[in-house]
Amino acid sequence: MTDLDISRAWLVDPAAGREGPGDIVVRDGVLESVVWLEGEDASGVDDRGVIVAPGFVDLHAHFREPGNEDAETIATGMAAAAHGGFTTVCVMPNTAPALDDPAVLARVAAAREASSSPIRVLAFGSVSAGRGGETLAALGELADAGVIGFSDDGSPVTSGPLLRNALAYAGALGLPIVEHPEDAALTAGAEMSDGFVATVLGLRGWPAAAEEAAVARDLALLADVVRDVPAARLHLTHVSTAGALELVRRAKAAGLPVTCDVTPHHLALTDEWVAGSRRWAWEASGNPWDDGAITDAPYSSALRVNPPLRSVADAAACREALLDGTADAVASDHAPHTPVDKDVEFGLAANGISGIETALGVLLAAVDAGLVSLGQAVEALTVGPARVIGSAWGADQQPGLVEGSPADLVVFDRSESWTVTAQTLASKGKNTPLLGRALSGRVLATIAAGRLVYEAGAD
Amino acid sequence: MTVPPAAEISTPADDAPVVVPSVDAAPETQAVAWRHRHLLDLDVVSWPEIELVMRTTDAMREVLERPIAKVPALRGRNVTILFYEASTRTRVSFEVAAKNLSADVVNIAAATSSVSKGESLVDTVRTVEALGAELLVIRHAVSGAPYLAAETFSGSVINGGDGWHAHPTQALLDLYTMRAHLPGGSVEGRKVVILGDVLHSRVARSNIWSLTAAGADLWLCGPATLLRGFEAWAGRGAAAGRRFHVTSSVDEALRDADVVMALRIQRERMASGLLPSLREYAARYGLSAARLALARPGALVMHPGPMNEGVEISPDVAAGTQSLITEQVTNGVAVRMALLYLLAGTRPGDAA
Repeated sequence: MTDLDISRAWLVDPAAGREGPGDIVVRDGVLESVVWLEGEDASGVDDRGVIVAPGFVDLHAHFREPGNEDAETIATGMAAAAHGGFTTVCVMPNTAPALDDPAVLARVAAAREASSSPIRVLAFGSVSAGRGGETLAALGELADAGVIGFSDDGSPVTSGPLLRNALAYAGALGLPIVEHPEDAALTAGAEMSDGFVATVLGLRGWPAAAEEAAVARDLALLADVVRDVPAARLHLTHVSTAGALELVRRAKAAGLPVTCDVTPHHLALTDEWVAGSRRWAWEASGNPWDDGAITDAPYSSALRVNPPLRSVADAAACREALLDGTADAVASDHAPHTPVDKDVEFGLAANGISGIETALGVLLAAVDAGLVSLGQAVEALTVGPARVIGSAWGADQQPGLVEGSPADLVVFDRSESWTVTAQTLASKGKNTPLLGRALSGRVLATIAAGRLVYEAGAD
Repeated sequence: MTVPPAAEISTPADDAPVVVPSVDAAPETQAVAWRHRHLLDLDVVSWPEIELVMRTTDAMREVLERPIAKVPALRGRNVTILFYEASTRTRVSFEVAAKNLSADVVNIAAATSSVSKGESLVDTVRTVEALGAELLVIRHAVSGAPYLAAETFSGSVINGGDGWHAHPTQALLDLYTMRAHLPGGSVEGRKVVILGDVLHSRVARSNIWSLTAAGADLWLCGPATLLRGFEAWAGRGAAAGRRFHVTSSVDEALRDADVVMALRIQRERMASGLLPSLREYAARYGLSAARLALARPGALVMHPGPMNEGVEISPDVAAGTQSLITEQVTNGVAVRMALLYLLAGTRPGDAA
């Protein structure tokens, strides 16, 4: 068990709604004291240096085990999570076989046990049997076995009737349906977000309408179901367009039990990266060919992701959704892939970005630019996702700096940057468009359930 | 236009960028050198560089007019032509161009190679490089594939057409052909119409870069379903000085046009619901003699081929006196000779 003393750092406790200068002491894995400094003691401490926050919670990650252990395993995924400052990770069930049955969940739990890492791995079960989209998976048995919700992520639940039934059935179990909103008919063959960049690059466009139509359908079905099953809940994951976020905003205002998350890459990167721009969304002009933004070769398959990187305006809408609470969380959608699946033509490459280790740095880029506050960023990585998980979180300590509880913390330094390289990433998936880029906010230490799981310089 | 003497086409020096001698050129253009290691698309090629290609093509045309159309410029150099998509015209054009420069030519058609056994593009490119390829011409059905090849290959890559994205040698031969026939040898201010399936056309996309750089009054015309997305490009382009127009009105497009280029319509467009029928397309957008009469007298008629005669172009127009379609093919060889020659003189450190 870990001992740790940090004095004169900037503490962020979103559970208490408080941040400021302070000291913390961890003794034998327990957060023994949290002291908030004031007056003279606090002078010279600001939120640009060492930050202490509750361990991060990732609502959406792919650890690929069982079935594609070449891309990631539970163990390597947990190591990557620790490097990224995450102490709780919700893994998606699009494994092979799909996590549609308690036996597959048992394999995930066994792999976690074998790794001996204290990082909390929570699992979603699939909505449909085999993720086939036709019949319900063993929702009740999966709930009894401990899944935190259901998702066919990677694909939408295309069948409206099946989604309606799933919302009702899972609602009665007290669990959410996590939907990947995509109208697959509108995205057949699509390679990148529809729009100017796709037109110039000759890539088949993935229209915003495909996401918005799906979100509208999902919300209409939810409204239908909650009349009979008030406990029904819908979580829309990796929402990426301004129009879809506006639909969620209105649904929330109307009182529907819906939550959503956005990803770091959708709020900070844009489709211009596919053209070879490497500018943050807030620095982009909308025409990379004529503003000198193109510094890299186009068609980097590391940028191929579902949903695709969107326009400058969509990225701004993702940040706006975080600010006004439309988005409840930032989730990494960590999607590691092997070179076999990625070092191919853009149009043939697998979708996904390995992102659990860069989520903090990308979000801090938006904080550094003054677009999101540090407190909002930490909230979206801690209490925000914990609220989405809700009662399925269980008896474990909720994210927060609570004296006397097992230490579950991340310590990072905003004044220090680190460079993303294949070597610095603990994930097997090196498929990130940020390779070679320096990100601020180097993680110094991650402590999960009282144990040190990552320490800078120790890797 | 300046024509450098063909006799001066020599083997490019290994350590110097190629500068085509042009006695009549203005001093500022004389200094232009070809510094691109690859030719992947025209978005990164400047107007003076395009003019250098045009002047070099003039010299190659002169070579083609000799009794024995062959110079030793690329003797001993290996040009590998790797086509992942069926093509006769472009593949043969590159092959003839390379042979006219005395290069050693290796032809690989994807259907007969290990590609059909599932070998990745990266592995194939490494293999052809190990087999001696120095200049690689690649055609691929997936947009952007030549960029992946260029990342892997240590020599020069020429894009022979990728997906819907680009066909830079076609756009350059189109420009060359227009300049050869327009009064004053310039397309500046001339109304050029690209008519047809713009959405799926790599020829149209590459022509947008070169023709807007040349100052043409460029019009894209076709059914609205086949122009999707181009209005946004036109809007962005206009803000950056790359002006062109997009319209579904064939009359508006053709009125007083100086050049009309028809694009091929493929049958699968009906299956995907983009068009009601070929018959309807021919009636509403086909380049007929009556429609061509809207253009200026003597307007140039072009087509990148292969043609569906009776669909996007009527046989009498395709074979008529205004048609340059056969000359496009001849100029294609000259342009590709020029590009192979220019790229053979570049070095690994040069810009992409």
